[in-house]
This record gives sequence, C-alpha cells and structure tokens, in this order.
Amino acid sequence: MLSEERRTENLTLSGRVSGRLANPDVRDEFGLETLDMSMGPQHPAMHGLLRLILELDGETVVRCDPVMGYLHRSKEKISENRMYPAVIPITDRIDYMNNIAMEYGYVLAVEKLLDAEIPPRADAIRALMNEFGRIMSHIPSIGFLLLELGAFTPILYAFRERERIQSLFEAVTGARMMFHYIRIGGVKADLPEDIPEKMWEYIEGLEQRLQPDFVDLIEGNEIFIARTRGIGKLTQEKAVEMGLTGPPLRCTGVEFDVRKHYPYGWYKNLDFEVITDTEGDVEASYRVRLGEVKQSIRMIKQILENLPEGEVMADLGRRIRPAEGDGIGRVESARGEYAVHVVSDGSDTPYRVHYRTPCTVNMQLLQEIVPGHYLPDIMPIMGLIDPVSGAWDK
Amino acid sequence: MSLDILNQEPFRFLLSVGVILFLVLNLAAVFTMAERKVSAYIQLRYGPNRVGPRGLLQPAADVFKLFTKENLSPGRADIWIFLAAPIAMFIPAALVWLVVPFAPNAVVADLNVAIVFFIAVTSIGALGLIMAGYGSRSSFSLLGALRGAAQMISYEVPLILSLLGVIMLSGSLSLVDVVEAQSGGFWHWYFLPQLPMFVVFYISGLAEARRVPFDLPEGESEIVGGFMVEYSGMTWGLIQAAEFASMGLISAITVTLFLGGWQPPFEFLDLGNFNWIWFGLKTALLVFTFQWIRWSVPRLRMDQLMDLGWKVLVPVCLVWLFVTAGLMLLLPSVF
Repeated sequence: MLSEERRTENLTLSGRVSGRLANPDVRDEFGLETLDMSMGPQHPAMHGLLRLILELDGETVVRCDPVMGYLHRSKEKISENRMYPAVIPITDRIDYMNNIAMEYGYVLAVEKLLDAEIPPRADAIRALMNEFGRIMSHIPSIGFLLLELGAFTPILYAFRERERIQSLFEAVTGARMMFHYIRIGGVKADLPEDIPEKMWEYIEGLEQRLQPDFVDLIEGNEIFIARTRGIGKLTQEKAVEMGLTGPPLRCTGVEFDVRKHYPYGWYKNLDFEVITDTEGDVEASYRVRLGEVKQSIRMIKQILENLPEGEVMADLGRRIRPAEGDGIGRVESARGEYAVHVVSDGSDTPYRVHYRTPCTVNMQLLQEIVPGHYLPDIMPIMGLIDPVSGAWDK
Repeated sequence: MSLDILNQEPFRFLLSVGVILFLVLNLAAVFTMAERKVSAYIQLRYGPNRVGPRGLLQPAADVFKLFTKENLSPGRADIWIFLAAPIAMFIPAALVWLVVPFAPNAVVADLNVAIVFFIAVTSIGALGLIMAGYGSRSSFSLLGALRGAAQMISYEVPLILSLLGVIMLSGSLSLVDVVEAQSGGFWHWYFLPQLPMFVVFYISGLAEARRVPFDLPEGESEIVGGFMVEYSGMTWGLIQAAEFASMGLISAITVTLFLGGWQPPFEFLDLGNFNWIWFGLKTALLVFTFQWIRWSVPRLRMDQLMDLGWKVLVPVCLVWLFVTAGLMLLLPSVF
C-alpha cells in the first residue's frame, strides 16, 4: 500500500532493511502479497505517540518495527542548562503517569553527589508518596489493558481511583499531576495535619474495592482470559537478555526489585514482598501489577503507622553547587528500574544528565515478540509493557 | 366517522410504511440515547444531561450536527462504492421490519415465508460492509471489511440453524403463526423447549449486529473503526443508524421467535389491541442486555470468534435439532 518514497522513508526510520521492503514484489506460493501497514503515531492504542510499521500476512504480524521519537522533548539537553533544583519539574514530565518516582530518581542522584543527610521524616514521606504514585500508575495500567482489549468500563473505574489519589496529592503538593514535590534535601512541605488520616481512610477503602472492581470483574471474565493467557509469552532468559525491568521482568519469574535489592531511602525499614509470576504472559503481568498494588497498600500502612517526627528539609544552603564527580540514583518506578546519572563539573548546572527510563528498554519487546501474533494481540502486549510516550522519548 | 377506512387497502399500507419508517429512523436516536445513558450508569457517570430536559434532546442535537458536517471522502476512494455502502447497509436493516409482527393485526406484510425473508435480507447487510471497507481504500478499513465478511457469513450458519427448531415446533415460516403458536402464558414460549437454540440465536444475533464482544469489523483499539474509519458526517450517521436498526431488529426477531412476540406472560394480562406494549417491553429488555454486555466484556479475537461459531454454536444447534425432532416423534401430545 505504501508508495515508493514512503518505503524509503520507512527504511531510514526503522534503521532496518527487511527482505520484504527491499523487494516489494515478494509473493508466497499462492501469489499473495503481505500487507504493509503503518500504525500510528496518531492511533488510540499506541500509549501516546508510537508508530509501528507492520507487515501483515492476513491477520498475522510478520514484522513489527516500532518507530520512536514523536514525543522527543530534549529532556536531557534542557537539564544541562538549568540549575540543579530547577531540573526537578523537567523530570516530572518524563513519565507523566508516575511522576513522583521520576523526581525521586533525580533527587537521589544529586543527593549522592552532595553526600547530603536527609531527615528521616522526609525519607518516609518520599516513600509514602512514591507508593501512592505506584498505585496511581498501576491501576490505570490495568484499566488501559482492558481498554485495549475492547472493554471500556474498567478504565473509568481505574480513573476514579487515580482521581481520588490525585486529590490527596493536591492537598499535599498543591498540584494534581506535575507535583514538583520531592526537593533536593527533603520534600517541599510537611503533610497537612488531617492528611495522614485521610490517606489511611482512602487506603482502607481501596483495599475493599480492589477485589470486586479489579479482580472479580476482570479475572472472572472468560474473554479476558482467552485474550491474555499465553499472549506475549516471554522466557526468563530472553527477559534478562533484553534488560527488561519492572512488571515485564517480574512476570517471568525473575525476582528483581530495586527497592528490595538496592534499597534506598525509607525502603530499608519496610517489610514487603517482591511479586513475581511464572507465566510471563499478559495475564501474568496483570497479576503482578495487582499484587504490587496490594504490596504498596501494605507499605503505605506501615509508613503511616510509624511516621517519624521532625524536619522535612535538610539544610543544604541556598545555592546547590556539588563538587566535581557523578552520582547515580536508582529507583523502582512503576514501569521498571529508573536510573538517573548526573555528572557535575562544579558549577551550579549539571554537566550531563542521563535518564535511563524503563520504557525505552522494555519497548524492545515489541520487535522481539510481536511477530507471529495476531494483529489484535499487539494491544495486550502493549499493555504488558505499559510504556508511556513521554518516558520512552524523553 | 369510522376509523375502519384506515384498515383498508391503500391507507393501511401507507400508514404501516409510514409507521415503520418513522420507527426505524427514530430507533437510532432512541438507542443512541439509551446506549449513552446505560453506559453512563454502568460507569458511574451521568451521561448526557445538558440538552433539553434530562438530556433527552441530545440525539436531536447530534443528528443536527451530523447533517451540517461536511462529508469527507478519501482522495483515492472508489467514490460510488464509498457512497453507496451506507445505503446498502441501511436499507436491509430497515426492510426486515416490514415482516415483524408488533401486535395482532399490526404487521405490514404477513408473508408466509417471513423467516426466509429475514434470513435473506439480513445477509445483504454484509455486502454493504464489504463495500464500505473496500471503497475507502485504506488498509485499516480493508482489514475491517475482511473481518466483517468472514464474521457475518460464518455466523449466518448458526443463526439459521437455531431458527429451525422453532420452525419445526410451530410448523410455519410465518412470523405471525409462530407468535400465535406461543399463546397462553410464558411457559408456552419457545425459549423453554429451545433454550440452547435461544442462546445460540442470541449470540449469533450479537455477532450479526456487530456488537461487543463481536465488534471485530470495528475493532476500535486496533483498526480504529475498521470499515467505517473513513466516513464522516451523515454517511457515518447512516452506518450508525443501520447498526442500531439491526440491533433492534435482532432483538425484535428474538422476541418474536423465542419470547412469544406480543403474547403477554400471563393470560389475564392480555391487553387486546395494545399488546404491542408487551412486544415493546420485551424488545427493550433485550436491547438493554445487548448494551449491558457491550459495556462489560472485552472483544474476542478473530480466530476465537471463528472457533466459537463453528466449533461450539453449530454443533449445539445440530444436536438440539435432533433432540427436538426426537421429542416431537416420541411425545406428539406435548409438542
């Protein structure tokens, strides 16, 4: 279907020359051609702006080339031209579904550069907000998975939960989405007086709603099982080889979680399990996400039960100017391991900031496991990876 | 002056056709509204509530918008096929309403082969779908049309097979006769002796009307609207009207064949000439279940759809056909 110049453009963009595109007249033994299809970047199921160059044999995908870069906003370059505290709002906009973890990673890296001591209350609040952020990201992920399978209702139930958490965040941080809450040396402000109680109430309610709204309605559905079981099946070796992290890795059975294995902040004091599953398919990733929501609830309860008293901001001086060197902050974001590498040349702007977002790495999965699946299976596989456009393009 | 004149020939025909056209053209509006309200209540929302009292004028506003909207067509589209497709979809969906018996004596054409007419005319709808997908000349709509063709043709088989039991029991191909054979309380309705057939007919009816979980030709998450991805304005509106009309049609035919048509559930509730109320209530109930399913379940995949049709529904029909025949031979007094 694509004209000759579009073909050339595809070749350049995908950086790959496949036999089919190089020779458009390839036919199989029945004289049938395959169908080229360009899905996206404006496509409702592409989690933002992703273009997939597909080659279809009937409904079976023969080749799938993801083309990224439609939402590239030069986050890393912008970060080099701003003073250290002013980079935090930039990080907010990387993974806009789970911004708190994005701030956390950057701030950890800078604090490592500065060798700063963080007051325990600030650490606890950071972990608290981070776990809320995880719930806020995982529950809509489950909703999006169902939306892509064709069920419209769960996304609205999921967004009800997200909205309620956002209201809590609004009371704490002053913003509903781009929080700019975790600062170098602590957090922006202490929790308002009535908020811990409201958080507790909300968490209790969520615990009750989780079973009927997100388990019984979804897992009990035959069609959901038929559409997700065995789809996007991934082996442990392949997952490790591709460097996946987060739910796509844990659903294959590899127990890796930065919070557990390289604990940071308040996570040393928390008791939680790393949720894994053995299947490695879309259904398993759904179960892992649901289990992680339950673990987050457990952690939030622990933090709220013994929230330490004291300051929420360390005294680091007004001007942040780290000595020459570099610092790495690793956090477990909702989508996998998020790491920030900050290099300082001694001035008050970073020399180089690199964001290692899990989405970019996890997206390799598409090229590897989509071929051989049916066209509608691309959507649940996208739900397995659950990438965010802002995070893979940065 | 007597109203009897209305019951005589040219008047009766004109009146009936007028009523049918009015009904079919308004069904789309009523069903859109119902669909949006039902989905809203399932999803903890209010739904449209701004235009008119309780939002009831929303469909009128929608239709007004569709009429004033430009009709876009893709540059490379096969324009005649592209424009004829919505009409080819709408006419069959409206035509079958001619044989639907609403109440005693309220049927436009009491054909003695009404069931065959229903089967024949609904099949034409698939043609319009293929025309729409092919005429748009886009790979998305082409995939949608191919899916639609495969789905509608293969689900025709269980749809027809599940009718046969009713035909055997009633001994007639006329829908009026079928309804009259079910008189005398709901335990005489055919959904009880023909329960598996009823379920099969309902499921394949969902597939024929292209409703979730069988809306693969549309497949909004992968092929973003499928065969109708390129339509806009009133051509799109006509496709929607055809979909809603065929959804209502499938419900009405299901009611007629399995749920006793205009027959009241108990004899003492007989409303005489107003029995169309019963017909309307049952049809509305079935349409509601269609919408309930639509907003609760995900979509099937093409191969799973085919498996369900050929490996489950067709064998069930065949088995129950023989069971019905055997029972009729063994217990001629009951059936």
